[in-house]
Amino acid sequence: MTKNKEKLTIIIAGCIIGVISSLLVFFGNPANMGFCIACFLRDIAGGVGLHRAAAVQYIRPEIIGLVLGSFAVALAKKEFSAKGGSSPITRFMLGFFVMIGCLMFLGCPFRMILRMAGGDLNALFGLAGFVAGILAGVFFLNKGYSLKRTYKLPSSDGVMLPVIMGSLLVLLAIAPAFIFFTEADGGPGAKHAAIAISLAAGLIVGAIAQRTRLCMVGGIRDMVLFRESKLLLGFIAVFAGALVCNLILTAATAGTYFNLGMAGQPVAHTDGLWNFLGMFLTGFGCILLGGCPLRQLVLSGEGNADSAITVLGLIVGAAFCHNFGLASSAEGPTENGKIAVIIGIVFVTVIACMNTFKKEK
Amino acid sequence: MKYIATFYSHYGAIRFKKLCDAKGYTARIMPVPRDLSSSCGTCVQWDGSPVLTSEIQTDEVEQMAEITEKGYCTYYMAEN
Repeated sequence: MTKNKEKLTIIIAGCIIGVISSLLVFFGNPANMGFCIACFLRDIAGGVGLHRAAAVQYIRPEIIGLVLGSFAVALAKKEFSAKGGSSPITRFMLGFFVMIGCLMFLGCPFRMILRMAGGDLNALFGLAGFVAGILAGVFFLNKGYSLKRTYKLPSSDGVMLPVIMGSLLVLLAIAPAFIFFTEADGGPGAKHAAIAISLAAGLIVGAIAQRTRLCMVGGIRDMVLFRESKLLLGFIAVFAGALVCNLILTAATAGTYFNLGMAGQPVAHTDGLWNFLGMFLTGFGCILLGGCPLRQLVLSGEGNADSAITVLGLIVGAAFCHNFGLASSAEGPTENGKIAVIIGIVFVTVIACMNTFKKEK
Repeated sequence: MKYIATFYSHYGAIRFKKLCDAKGYTARIMPVPRDLSSSCGTCVQWDGSPVLTSEIQTDEVEQMAEITEKGYCTYYMAEN
């Protein structure tokens, strides 16, 4: 495929993903949250009782669809390959702290784009922090950062996360008493599109992301490292697709899908410093992990056990955020959350240094 | 002839490019082409001759291939 055709493909893919994200809000998801990998993993953590924040408990089919969509396409294209063994506990902890950064900001990099497409100007502080975090990570990449190589693993390791996701889908469908669901009007967890719509959206976006390698950190990283704009165009296309769809929905329906400003934005706060620092931690951690939370889900579907471990770290991080009062709310960040983000930035910096400078030869 | 190598880390690619530069090959670092791999890492493409297995850091190089009109012809793939 020629470079221009690849760029056109990823622009179209990004636009489709942006439109699907906007439509998910129309079908019932929380505002500016058609997709949010951090929020949805947090909801799943609550759904299976890892935290008891009653407002954010639901098994989100979008996450299941993302992994299974990637899994199906990887199998069909003979790209499924079970591999792992690259510093798994380090990746788990990086995932843990990336989640703390995301829940300080109230969104993953994907939702950061969707918040901007919904007119939420607070997300611009997040974007600035995200870019700064990526630049910090790129500094270490160029100095020699590596979590060491991966190895081939038995297929059972590669299918573990897709199987877990399939199991979650069964639990969602039969809704046993031990699964927690936010009560109607009880918070963001109660706002969701129909299961079939959410699952289909996840499957489509998972398949597209597997084929295009769409990654929210990869776009900026590749632009800085190689002056290669392809992934960044996908990032911009998601924004453009969601923005246009939000404007059309606002004009054509009774709902408000675009509201330009800072105050009163849905599931967001106006503390610019902590929006910046939360996404700084996220961008920095994601560069060290080799991809954003969306990309980790997609790689898990391809059989990457290191990414599956990272996803588990994200889920446990989300549980800690709500068990220990680290997650922000519309009122703003918490003191505990600020301390956790600072610890996270220190931790990620130490990990970067330990896996960079010690092995210069 | 054109060749391409993929790596387990970005820094592996930087070191490999230095090796190519030292051998007088014209080399550049770039993202891994999608039709070569679904991974989103870094690769090195160079003009010249095949880099020998004995010359590389085997814990850093994932694969090396010749770029032909028919596609990629792999001549080195890391074990396990």
